[in-house]
Amino acid sequence: MKKFFEVNDATFSSNKEHNIRKINFNISKRGEIICLLGPSGVGKTTILRTIAGLERLKSGEIWLSGQLISSTNVSINPEKRKIALSFQDNCLFPHKNVLENITVGLQKENTRNFLYSPNEILKIFQLEKIKNKFPHEVSSGEAQRVSLARSLISSPDLLLLDEPFSNIDPILKEELQKSIKDILKKTGTSAIIVTHDPNEAFYLADKCGIIINNSLEQFDTPYNIYHFPGTLNVVNFLKRGTLVNVRILSKTQLKHHYLGIINGKFGCSNLNPFNVGNSVKLLIQPEDLHHDDNSKLKLKIIDRKFRGTNFIYTLTTPKKELIPVLVESHHQHFHEKNEEFGIKTPINIDHLVCFEKN
Amino acid sequence: MKYPNHFLDTNKTLYAFVFVIAIFSIIPLFSIIINSTTLNYSYIESSGLFEFFKNSLIILFWVIILTSFFGVFSAYLITFYNFPGVSFFRYALILSFAIPPYIFGYSLSAFFENYGIGYSFFTNFFKLDDANSFLPNLTPITNCILSLSFTLYGYIYLLSKTSFLNQSGNLVDLGKSLGFNSFKKFTNIIIPSARPAIFIGISLVSMETLADFGTVSYFGVSTFTTEIYNSWFIFDDLKTSNFLSLFLLIFVLIFFIIEKISRKNSKFHKLKNDSKNKRLQLNGFSALAAFLFCFSLFFISFIFPFSQMIFWSYKFPEYYKNLNLIRLNLNTFTLILFTSFFIIIFSFIVNFGNRALKSKFLNLISTLSISGYAIPGIIISVSIISFISLMSNLFDVNLKSIFIGTFYGLIIGYFFRFYSISYNSIKSDYLKINYSIDESAYLLGFNKFKTFSEIHWPIMKKNTFFIFVLISIEITKELPITLILRPFNFDTFSTKAYHFASQDLIEAASIPSMFLIFWASILILISFKSFFDDEK
Amino acid sequence: MPQLVFLIILLSFQNIFTKEINLFTTRHYDSDLQLYEDFTKETGIKVNVISGKSKPLEKRIIEEGKSCIGDLFFLADAGRLVSAEKKGLFIKIKSQSIEQKVPENFRSPYWVGITKRARIIYYNPKETKLDEIKNLSYEDLSSIKFKNSIAIRQSNNVYNQSLVASLIENNGIDFTKQWLKKFVKNFSRNPTGNDRAQILSVAAGESKFAIANTYYYALMASGKKGEDQKKASKKVKPLFPNQLDRGTHMNISGIGILKHSPNKANTKKFIEFLLTPKAQKHIVNNTYEYPMIETVTPSKLIQKMGNNFKQDNSSKVSTYGKWQKEAFKLMRKAGWN
Repeated sequence: MKKFFEVNDATFSSNKEHNIRKINFNISKRGEIICLLGPSGVGKTTILRTIAGLERLKSGEIWLSGQLISSTNVSINPEKRKIALSFQDNCLFPHKNVLENITVGLQKENTRNFLYSPNEILKIFQLEKIKNKFPHEVSSGEAQRVSLARSLISSPDLLLLDEPFSNIDPILKEELQKSIKDILKKTGTSAIIVTHDPNEAFYLADKCGIIINNSLEQFDTPYNIYHFPGTLNVVNFLKRGTLVNVRILSKTQLKHHYLGIINGKFGCSNLNPFNVGNSVKLLIQPEDLHHDDNSKLKLKIIDRKFRGTNFIYTLTTPKKELIPVLVESHHQHFHEKNEEFGIKTPINIDHLVCFEKN
Repeated sequence: MKYPNHFLDTNKTLYAFVFVIAIFSIIPLFSIIINSTTLNYSYIESSGLFEFFKNSLIILFWVIILTSFFGVFSAYLITFYNFPGVSFFRYALILSFAIPPYIFGYSLSAFFENYGIGYSFFTNFFKLDDANSFLPNLTPITNCILSLSFTLYGYIYLLSKTSFLNQSGNLVDLGKSLGFNSFKKFTNIIIPSARPAIFIGISLVSMETLADFGTVSYFGVSTFTTEIYNSWFIFDDLKTSNFLSLFLLIFVLIFFIIEKISRKNSKFHKLKNDSKNKRLQLNGFSALAAFLFCFSLFFISFIFPFSQMIFWSYKFPEYYKNLNLIRLNLNTFTLILFTSFFIIIFSFIVNFGNRALKSKFLNLISTLSISGYAIPGIIISVSIISFISLMSNLFDVNLKSIFIGTFYGLIIGYFFRFYSISYNSIKSDYLKINYSIDESAYLLGFNKFKTFSEIHWPIMKKNTFFIFVLISIEITKELPITLILRPFNFDTFSTKAYHFASQDLIEAASIPSMFLIFWASILILISFKSFFDDEK
Repeated sequence: MPQLVFLIILLSFQNIFTKEINLFTTRHYDSDLQLYEDFTKETGIKVNVISGKSKPLEKRIIEEGKSCIGDLFFLADAGRLVSAEKKGLFIKIKSQSIEQKVPENFRSPYWVGITKRARIIYYNPKETKLDEIKNLSYEDLSSIKFKNSIAIRQSNNVYNQSLVASLIENNGIDFTKQWLKKFVKNFSRNPTGNDRAQILSVAAGESKFAIANTYYYALMASGKKGEDQKKASKKVKPLFPNQLDRGTHMNISGIGILKHSPNKANTKKFIEFLLTPKAQKHIVNNTYEYPMIETVTPSKLIQKMGNNFKQDNSSKVSTYGKWQKEAFKLMRKAGWN
């Protein structure tokens, strides 16, 4: 049984730089949202364009609703796919006003019944006031909203959004993210959203794909990606913490040369084979370690970042390994740079995420 | 497995269309290459050992210097200063486009020759006894340089003016804060940042100058183009003239490449119009000087030739009687209408095809079509005649009586010559439309044709009228192709003007010339706004 | 749309006339067109005309081949007529009446001269006395005594090429080569302008002598170029060279019948018409050329310049075609730009 949307062993490429080889991901059922996350310039946009039919697939297959839409020798033309794409750059029709730009989307044949009237869409995207303006008269954030509205009004089977919130100011962004998610869920519209912002992805997506260096590094739920990053690349991309050298003592214990014994469970194993006694790299995330002024285990502070509700202290071991620690910002006193900083012992970490040492 | 066949079919049809039109548009280029197999060295040697090459370069050099000075300086004054008449000159200076260089040449030589118009003017009004020695005797090369400079500077004027206007006011303010005086501001800030635009202008002027035949042959200067003709007319050696045309084409190609590179840079240099530049009020002597500069430029480039034409038409009314003015107007009008119709349609097909199909091969052959503009008209006509007769022999059909010496043949000739104007204009319009607009349209369910008719056309239609005007001005001025390919008893204003000028009756030539300038001016006037569209 | 179709049809068939001839011409006279109208009135045969430059028209006729609807080719220089003849454009004209009217040196079996043009010398009587130059020949113009005094147009002008070609025919290549070297040194200025500009240069005192065709002078004297030029023409006197030997250099405008002419029957009528006294009179009075037939006298303005001068009737004008290329090469090599 085919899933709602499947990308099988697909190679995407528009030119030499944007070349993504042999990847697999899917949307298991209608209404699911997935996000493709990765640094800019890896070719995420190429994937969307290929799915939309604007680029040829180099190898593999793409299926939508049980129909093969792209393979090496099949390519259904974009206008015949029930797919909408909202571009990153402004691509509104300059000779049509906002309302006309949106209703152009209603002309597409083969679309499912329209769920929203143009007026409702205008309301959702807060575009009523500018509906008679022309694209050159609206701000870039407004233009992006119009573009989103236009993609959504045709009720496509699959909606592709390329960095949909990149030009929208932060206050409106959160609001808009929420309403987009609501609309998608309510209408049961599946979407693939490309973004470079992990928070955005984690908020919107049912599943996330992390694309780094020409391949799909991990495809999983946001929770799993957050807590069990599959590869070093994912760790580095998410900037979730630092890696320190440890030795495996048992299935629940590790030993660090300075921090000492670290207890925890191996949530999912990136280690293959798993051998007691091996030296591996352990991911330490800011919330893993806890502060304790009375602890005997002290590390030197080299940096402090204020992040509103909390501080992130960056500590260093004598071997110059960097370790982040998160502290609530209502903690009574500050610690300054070069001060000694106590870490609560014994160290317990929920799930241990370890990687092979190269 | 389902193949979406009918869409592949539309692509194939489009591909075929574009391919045929693009190949067709480079027939003259093929013809030149195929026919330039031999070079007659004895001819080249006898023609003064590349004397003509030297002359071409001298003319080119001075025309570039003069047009740059006229164009850049007038644009500078008009953009940055306020002085009496500034808003008039802003528009008036582009009227120079209406005067073909050869007609300017007629008026120049008629004015400065011994006992010419200038002589009559000074003896009658100033009672000068010896106006002949008072008036300068211009050498043929000087005459060519002046005729070309005063009729071509408009390109540089328009382009540098647009570039000045797009210059950030901040940039100029920066100059002020650095304590630059206006001259230093001009040389150190304004000119360098407008340099790409000026380069584009210079390369257009250079192409026109190198391909000019009317002016240099009227003044009898031996240049590249006249040698192309001489080798054929005197030595009956069409192969050498094809070879020289090819050489000329390569020469022009260099300027074309310079232009392309400059255009790329000009995108890079384009600054946001963050603060509108306020025009500085000029007073007293400087206001007068600025006024006089612009006035002289306008006077010499437009009033001087046009008024002589009017004067002669008034003084020798008997020449009206042999002119069938209705017929001439009708001929010019029909030619303009049919030719621009075909040229514009075909350029749209090719441009749209190139955009939609993204074929590098098609793009290359379409780009080659610009060669048409750099090939002398006579050589284009010859290649049409040869091509038609080749096709007739090949397929054993009589295409000759359909296309040689008929209205259709004339349209084909104009097509080869002016297709590149419209192709390139539409191409640059297309570049302004983001490609993702097309893709959005496809995704919204538009097929290719609908994308064109509902998205591209509405955006570009305003400028298409401007392209129509540009082609029309060129057709109105065109001479050699019309002369050779026209049907029996068929005349245009330019052939009539030539007809009289060859009888040494510039006086009679003035009537058709006057109409020619009149129509060209009207065309410019109705599209004034488009000339300045880039400013917004 | 229907209007468009109609227009196309109209344009395609505008030449439907039962009796007509199609004429290619490199002569650009309005008066010629009036003459053709007279022909139509007399014979009912319509004359369709294309005027243009000689070589492109020649090329067009050759390439069109059998489908060329042109009947006649009228050219303004003997050399060009020879070139067209050599390329096989013409068929022989067999007409007794034509042969009787036109002297042998002004025709070939393939074409026939219709008008004559004299290329002569002009001088300023205030500066040069007639006695000094009375019996001047072209050959004499290389003399050192004319240093820096002669105005003549450029070497790419076909009349100059024919003039030099006639010198080659009469004196040989080596002589002409030497002659040209000295002659070019006698130029008063760098060659520029048309024939009239040379005459005006003498009138203005810039040059002592000019070489130009007679009809340019007549054009000035007629007042068609304005009062000032008329006055200027009075300051200059024409001089017919080579009166003691072969006579003044004459060139022709001539016409030939095209090989594939569809209206051959009418073409001879047309040529014969051009050689009638009436037609000849019309031409010479309007264009100031010399008539081809003896019974007609040139226009009054031309007669004033000098009646009964000796024309070069010994040089066959067809030889101009033979030597034109050589002439041009020699002229260029001598530094005549």
